Amino acid sequence: MTLQATHLTVPTGAVAPTRPRSRRARRRRWLGLLYLSPALLLYAAIVLAPLAQTMNFSLYKWDGVSEPSWVGLHNYLNFGRDPRMLEAFGHVLVLIVMFGLVPLCLGLICASLLSRAKIRGEGIYRWFLFLPQVLTSVVVAIIWKRIYAPDGPLNTFLRSIGLDGMTRNWLGDFDWALPSLGMIGVWGGFGFTMVLFLAGVLAIPDEHYEAARLDGASRWQEFRYITLPGLRGQMAIALTLTITGALRTFDMVYITTQGGPGTATTTPALLLYQLAFVNPDVGVASATGVVLAFLCLGIAVGITRVMESKD
Amino acid sequence: MISRYERVSNYVIVIALTLGVLFPVAWFFLTSLSPNTSGALDVSHLSWGNFAAAWRDGNLAHSMLASLVITVSAVTGQTLLAILSGYAFGVLGVVGERFLFPLILLGMMVSTEVIVIPLYYEFEKIGLTNSWLGLIIIQLGMGVPFGAYWMRATFRALPRTIIDSAEIDGAGEWSTLWRVLLPMARPAVLTLVLLSFMWTWNDFFLSLIFLGDPEKQTATVALGAFQGRHILQVNLMAAGSLIVSLPVVALYMIFQREFISGVMAGAVKE
Repeated sequence: MTLQATHLTVPTGAVAPTRPRSRRARRRRWLGLLYLSPALLLYAAIVLAPLAQTMNFSLYKWDGVSEPSWVGLHNYLNFGRDPRMLEAFGHVLVLIVMFGLVPLCLGLICASLLSRAKIRGEGIYRWFLFLPQVLTSVVVAIIWKRIYAPDGPLNTFLRSIGLDGMTRNWLGDFDWALPSLGMIGVWGGFGFTMVLFLAGVLAIPDEHYEAARLDGASRWQEFRYITLPGLRGQMAIALTLTITGALRTFDMVYITTQGGPGTATTTPALLLYQLAFVNPDVGVASATGVVLAFLCLGIAVGITRVMESKD
Repeated sequence: MISRYERVSNYVIVIALTLGVLFPVAWFFLTSLSPNTSGALDVSHLSWGNFAAAWRDGNLAHSMLASLVITVSAVTGQTLLAILSGYAFGVLGVVGERFLFPLILLGMMVSTEVIVIPLYYEFEKIGLTNSWLGLIIIQLGMGVPFGAYWMRATFRALPRTIIDSAEIDGAGEWSTLWRVLLPMARPAVLTLVLLSFMWTWNDFFLSLIFLGDPEKQTATVALGAFQGRHILQVNLMAAGSLIVSLPVVALYMIFQREFISGVMAGAVKE
């Protein structure tokens, strides 16, 4: 991810600080350390030390109050036998598809449809499409909780077109609660991928499309050989962001369903919260955190690798 | 050249999609103006008093103040730390840079969940839970990786000759940073400030964990509690939600370009 980041924003040709081995340069590098030190100390205390401690906690059984007891890798090994955990990670798989893959495909379709012509009023539609990204997650959750409510707009609409049989308490239904939550992600992620991909399409040189058209390329060929390869970087960003977002889903579930009905919409982050602060089993909560962190890291690295090697 | 048909169909697609994204928000906005507690829309009787009622019933004055204090302090501190560390990495060079910079970048991939448990127990020990200061410190520490990365890239993109000529003029490092480089880096700093503001204001997870006391709650957590209690007053709940999201949405209205480009470039933060 850092790799991507670097060639995203650091303009090439920027001159790196040269470092002659002079006394002056050495003095500057110590001065640099001094300038960095406040940030570095805070970072070490707030991020690095707790990170190490979480790994340590994950090797103990601890209720948050009494003396912790060492259990080695037991908390990790137990994941495979813990139905709550398996279920929560299973839910996250569904969310990954709906948060990540659906917006990706929709965004690609739109970008390809719109790749041939510049649309006027770009600023306006971009503003609206991007709005879900800046809205507080809590507010997004409340908006959709309302839409899915038994007397909410969705059911009202279904009734008005005579589909009374389809109406239900969407978030209270064992089968429908999870896909309903997934739809919120589709709604939020779709505008993001579309804005991202449209910006990417504009960056593809027009000559490529013109040449393709002169050669009599079909729309599909144009998409397959020009648009798709041109958007590889944007696709990597979109997938990394939406998939890790799905993996870490918390706010939305906490506000809308609290994991219910029953355990139909639990997520690992929700279990982590409950195990850390509600009914403390701190060791298992920490192990969940470590697993989540490694999954996020692995996904980010994996997606970057795949996208960079595909050529 | 594209056909007229294609041009029209493009507009139809864009408008339909935009409306699709907009619909839930627009519906919610009208709900917040409904005189009816069930949230039934009634556009002929817009009840603007709902906002005042939600402000009162949701104890929003208190929690909005909490959010404001925490966000402004965290953003100010994060920006200062980012400028200093970006200058160190991007211009001065740092002893042990080859080790320290990757170590700090690692933080961009560390999600909140994996550090929050020990942080909570440590902060509880030293009395920094249920404290605005405690949450501000956490936000400061967590903001370091992105800030350092962002400002380093910014300073490195500035022409090296400017730094050299400031040096020749006899400007010290400190005044080179503040008088020469920072004015040139203003757009990047603005984007950083906006993103930090949005991330801090919109935070729910950390506030929920660290500020359990209703007297200390931020607006997002207070809103979460409010919607749990006021399940039967849909219009007030919607009004309260809009109040809480207003600061960020207002900034987004003014600085659309910075938000979008910043989120795109900063997509790596999580």
